[in-house]
Amino acid sequence: MSTLTARRAPVDTTPGARRRPRHTYLWSARGFALPALGVVALLLYLPFVWTGYLSFTEFNGLGDPEWVGLAKYQEMFADAGFLNSLRNTLYWVVGTLVLPVGLGLLIAVLTYGIAGSFWYRLPFLLPYAISGVAVGVIWTFILQTGGALDEALALVGIVDPPRWLLDSPLNTVVMIGAATWQGAGVNALLFTIGLQSIPKEPLEAARLDGASGWTMFRTMTWPMLTPLTTVVVGLSIVGSLKQFDVIWAMTKGGPGVSSETLALTMYKETFVSNDYGLGAAIAIFLTVITVAASVLYLRRQLSGAKEL
Amino acid sequence: MNRTRLLAGTAVAALALGLTACSGDAEGGSGGEDDGDVTLGFYTDKAAWEPSFEAMNEASSADGTTLDFTGYADATAYDSFIKQSFRTRQVPDLFTWHTGAQLGELVEQGLVAETTDLWTQAEADGLVPDGLKDNYTYDGKQYCVPLNVAYWAMYYNKKVFEEHGIEVPETFEDLMAAAEKLKAEGVTPFHQMNIIFEFVWFQALLAGRAPEVYQGLQTGEASYLDPEVVEVMNQWRQMIQDGYFIDPGVSTDPQTLLSTGEVAMAYFGTFFTGQLTDIDAVSGEDYGIFPVPSMDPGAGGQMILETGPLCVGAGAENEERALEYSAWWMTDDAQTAWTAERGDVSFNPDVTVEDPELQKLVDAVSADEFTIQQRYLEANPLPVYTLSTEIFGDFVTNAPEPTEGLERLQAEAETYWSEQG
Repeated sequence: MSTLTARRAPVDTTPGARRRPRHTYLWSARGFALPALGVVALLLYLPFVWTGYLSFTEFNGLGDPEWVGLAKYQEMFADAGFLNSLRNTLYWVVGTLVLPVGLGLLIAVLTYGIAGSFWYRLPFLLPYAISGVAVGVIWTFILQTGGALDEALALVGIVDPPRWLLDSPLNTVVMIGAATWQGAGVNALLFTIGLQSIPKEPLEAARLDGASGWTMFRTMTWPMLTPLTTVVVGLSIVGSLKQFDVIWAMTKGGPGVSSETLALTMYKETFVSNDYGLGAAIAIFLTVITVAASVLYLRRQLSGAKEL
Repeated sequence: MNRTRLLAGTAVAALALGLTACSGDAEGGSGGEDDGDVTLGFYTDKAAWEPSFEAMNEASSADGTTLDFTGYADATAYDSFIKQSFRTRQVPDLFTWHTGAQLGELVEQGLVAETTDLWTQAEADGLVPDGLKDNYTYDGKQYCVPLNVAYWAMYYNKKVFEEHGIEVPETFEDLMAAAEKLKAEGVTPFHQMNIIFEFVWFQALLAGRAPEVYQGLQTGEASYLDPEVVEVMNQWRQMIQDGYFIDPGVSTDPQTLLSTGEVAMAYFGTFFTGQLTDIDAVSGEDYGIFPVPSMDPGAGGQMILETGPLCVGAGAENEERALEYSAWWMTDDAQTAWTAERGDVSFNPDVTVEDPELQKLVDAVSADEFTIQQRYLEANPLPVYTLSTEIFGDFVTNAPEPTEGLERLQAEAETYWSEQG
């Protein structure tokens, strides 16, 4: 007893004393966080504010920006090409929710709990390690007219295949396929983590009650995967809205503008057409819908979790 | 103890990173003295031409000037980099750019050094042909010097022509007949692209059909809905539908396609010779060059000229020396070394090209057999050209009814010209 008390550090229990350590702690905490905050502010918030400013100006990269108010936003909404990009972006969001997420879930569920499951997941995970441009280059090699896929189809007698990268919306669909090839693995990994964190007891109880297979999945496994599903779907929404590398490497938004998404239109308007104001307006618009989509989705998911 | 060591280690690492970032690249040249050896900071989007510029350093180092080469492989990234560098204190000594409206933009902002005196001297010495100066003149003064010129002509695979008994076409009718024959015998006649050079067949056909309309589009005097333009688009569409062109989805290099005979002919600038030489194709044996016959024989021979500028940044650290280098660039010595290196033509009339096929072309141009036309990309307003990449890119891919595309181009042109006042 006495040895234990001797080892405990002396605590000053007067009221004033308790406030002082906390006060010092807060200030030193702020001091440590400030440099990191400074870097983020400089490299992220400042450019964001500058882009916001540019979206109200006419600027071609040379000279000084000229204030034009809402003209760029009006121009953006009136442009038929913008609606086309918006539509393609929507395809990407829906496509990325269905394919990489769905496929990831399927892989996770199918390989869960079996021997050697790591090796079954590995081939799906490896493409995630390569860059978006590399994915684009590989799939262009496969999908170009007369490329690997066309040659393989010719072997089985299909000599007039679709023009994978030239016809719209087929080119968007195949590019979503390429992005799926890259993204399904990491979703599978996240879902596997989710499956591993499901407590065994409720599942055992359900099995004793006679649930199995699809019923088990629908009533027990899926609801308990919600935390990971939230993460995966949230990441997919954000990722699909800003998808650039794969599309740029495969079709550059072409032919014409048929496979352009908002991210590509933003890039083209700024750096190819040298209309920084319009590019900035599109960037702000894209940021707004990305933030809105994420906030709406997360709020719904997390408020639902509170009810549990 | 451990925490202290960890913190100390992190601090040292951060310091080391900081120091490497600070030292960075000593671009913009060393010294800056006129007498000593000077290295000029040189930037270009023709990253693939690095060996040629290194070879030029051997020739120029006699005067004590060499180039420190920085090449960008992505043209868009390069354009942005140059524009942004003017907002810093590191204005580039020497850089390549694009003639036409884009050079006009830089001139307007006073960002490039004036070279009027250099041009006057060069013309007096006979180093540049007549008319080339016009591409570099704004408000009566000249800016930048020509880096290179390229003529646009038809490259053809000699073996394919021999095999199928085709003579080099001298009229447009002959060209179409040759295409028809090749098609019938299972060879793809022409190459074309739906990116980068999607406009080239438009330019070849229109310049050959109605050169005054081709020029009128550049000044807003002609319309994209003029009957000649519509006729050209329909002709082009017919050629695509007849299967005269390779599928634009094939992204193999055009030089490979031509040398293997997958396409019989490819319409390119004379810089294409360098690309063919790189894959060991031999001029005169494996391939030849002929000028594209005009769609309307009455229009006479039309030769599309492309020229790119070598510019000195105004206020650059080594501006003086860079201007001297620019003057040297146009001399016989420099241009002889350049043509030997690139295997392309030179703007300098005194310099002969080793390649017999190219020399044939140069002789024909010098003999005044052709009217020189500017390339579509440089000659037209930037917003119109940018829209044309979309319209022609789609046209090459899908061969739609041309009216909608032409209407959009005309609308864009009208907006541009009305803003010019």
